[in-house]
Amino acid sequence: MMRCVWCTRTFEPPVTLQDLLRWRPLPMPALCPSCQERFIPITGAHCPACGRQQATTIRCHDCERWGAEILTNHALFQYDAGMKAYMQQYKFQGDYALRKALQAPLYQALAQQRYDVLVPIPVDQHTWLTRGFNQVTGWLRDQPFQQVLRVKADHKSQPQSAKTRAERLVTPQPFMLDTAAAKIIVNQRVLLLDDVYTTGRTLRHAASQIYLGGAKAFTSLTLAR
Amino acid sequence: MIDLSEYFGRRLPAITGTSQLGAGILAVQQVDSRYQCQRCQQWLADTDQLPNGAWYCRQCLQLGRVTSQTKLYTIPEPNRFSPPESPLTWTGELSPDQQQAAESIRQHVQRGQNQLLWAVTGAGKTEIVYPALAWAVTQGWRIAWASPRVDVCLELAPRIRAAFAAVSQCLLYGEQPAPYQYSQLTVCTTHQLLRFEQAFDWIIVDEVDAFPLATSPLLQLAITRAEKPTGQHLYLTATPGEKLQRQIRQRTLVTTYLPLRYHGYLLPQLRVRLAWRWREHLRKGRLPRPLIRQLLAYLEKGQRFLLFVPHVRDLPEIMAELAHQDIRGGVSVHAADPERTGKVQALRDQKLSFLVTTTILERGVTFPNIAVVILGGDDAVFSTAALVQIAGRAGRSADFPDGEVTCYIQTQTRVVRRAQTMITRLNRQGKQRGGRRP
Ligand SMILES: [Zn+2]
Ligand SMILES: [Zn+2]
Ligand SMILES: [Zn+2]
Repeated sequence: MMRCVWCTRTFEPPVTLQDLLRWRPLPMPALCPSCQERFIPITGAHCPACGRQQATTIRCHDCERWGAEILTNHALFQYDAGMKAYMQQYKFQGDYALRKALQAPLYQALAQQRYDVLVPIPVDQHTWLTRGFNQVTGWLRDQPFQQVLRVKADHKSQPQSAKTRAERLVTPQPFMLDTAAAKIIVNQRVLLLDDVYTTGRTLRHAASQIYLGGAKAFTSLTLAR
Repeated sequence: MIDLSEYFGRRLPAITGTSQLGAGILAVQQVDSRYQCQRCQQWLADTDQLPNGAWYCRQCLQLGRVTSQTKLYTIPEPNRFSPPESPLTWTGELSPDQQQAAESIRQHVQRGQNQLLWAVTGAGKTEIVYPALAWAVTQGWRIAWASPRVDVCLELAPRIRAAFAAVSQCLLYGEQPAPYQYSQLTVCTTHQLLRFEQAFDWIIVDEVDAFPLATSPLLQLAITRAEKPTGQHLYLTATPGEKLQRQIRQRTLVTTYLPLRYHGYLLPQLRVRLAWRWREHLRKGRLPRPLIRQLLAYLEKGQRFLLFVPHVRDLPEIMAELAHQDIRGGVSVHAADPERTGKVQALRDQKLSFLVTTTILERGVTFPNIAVVILGGDDAVFSTAALVQIAGRAGRSADFPDGEVTCYIQTQTRVVRRAQTMITRLNRQGKQRGGRRP
């Protein structure tokens, strides 16, 4: 009997024959089957630049508009009503325990990525004090990461969700390189981790700093698109 | 400047300018080796710590997170109201039975007694409370009308607003769009009471037997703490749970009893019909034959009906099988259905012939002339209270006082038997008061 971290109901974890034959401790699911169903994985064809689910594998309309500022982003889940409800409780209500809900799928996704240094998007000082955690590093179990980026002290923390698309697109560079950590990325393949890909503005700002730091490759992974 | 009335009788984190609010208390406090939330009194799990070192409470998170770095402030309730001389603006009339019950409630309130109103579904229990409420308002009391069900609050608030038009009021629930306002009358979900402390002279708890209040020590504590030490409460129910029934029997709770509906007709009894292995059949997408015949007969007569089923996941298959059997003209509705209100209204407006639903429509929703059918009344989701409430959907209107209630089960269970016994008992007492069979 397990207790679901999201709806707090108890449930019997589903056990498959393969699980039993594998003869090692079963992974403990954090979510009950019906909460699990609230996340829709992105599978099959998707945009190669932003990772959104679509019928083709060519760059989507939004990505075309970015022109030469090309990204390679993968996303795990669709940013739909279920994912929004999750983000609302985890990030905005600050329910840190919900980090466990997505640790397992992120663990698997990271195992399939090819990179040398994992860099999470940082939170600013104000968010750290009020929210008390970085929602992105919360999803990591024990995978090593480097906090290479910092939010500039003069950066006004207005939530991205409160802005229009046009406002987001002109947001000035919010990040700087941490002087001590910067040499870690020289000549390395960097994988950036963020929660939601919305316009791609944040990731592109991060990418330009990472390249300035001397990285030889840059890709990104977001939980949702 | 902050509006201090926000803090009257409440327990809130400070917004700004705490200087006028005194020292406050830490919202999450260490007691020995554990942490306890001072808003909801629950214990934190030993994993509920944030990376910045603070501890936070998950139990009352919906009210806005509090942590061991949050301070809560309160200002003792000053009862700063100017009540009208005759606050009751309701012009309806109570039946003699209702009047008697209303009088009894008023007397108990005036004596400062905690009490229960046990009135059958369709007795008009809201209006029965009005005379006592009017008296309480003139005393300058602060009063809360709380229910565990948000539907009930939403339905209740406009009625009370109209009935007490000159009394300051506010409605509080999870997603409420309007800001909080210090008011003499508060209609709210029981959850919202967690934000209050020794605020109310009188708390009326509607549907006291409904989920989740009945099983939640947290919500029961919320009621206790929101009540002043000198305060009192009134529980309203149509279907008291076993604990309340025991208190009634042992006379430890003053009870006013109304076993008759306002139109004077008795409650329809649950007719039980056996449906052999309905669950297995349902899994194969089949419905019991007698059920199909019954529903077809309803359609032919133009009789609208509610079909209650145990689980949301059963709905698609049942709808498909109904259509396959030529039972059309209705839709399914469930708790998370965004079109729920519209579908209920469509049935009321006779634009639909039936609704297939789960237990969500068991309370508060009324249709003038409706037949009620329950498929799988022996499933664990149907409690005794739920079955009595569901049966109570039928025969609500004086023009159509008889309503058929049919319950399909595989085996007779204690829960179903208890529901029948409760209806029989209520009707026996109703008959003594002159109740008639429709
Ligand atoms: Zn769950
Ligand atoms: Zn794209
Ligand atoms: Zn709490």
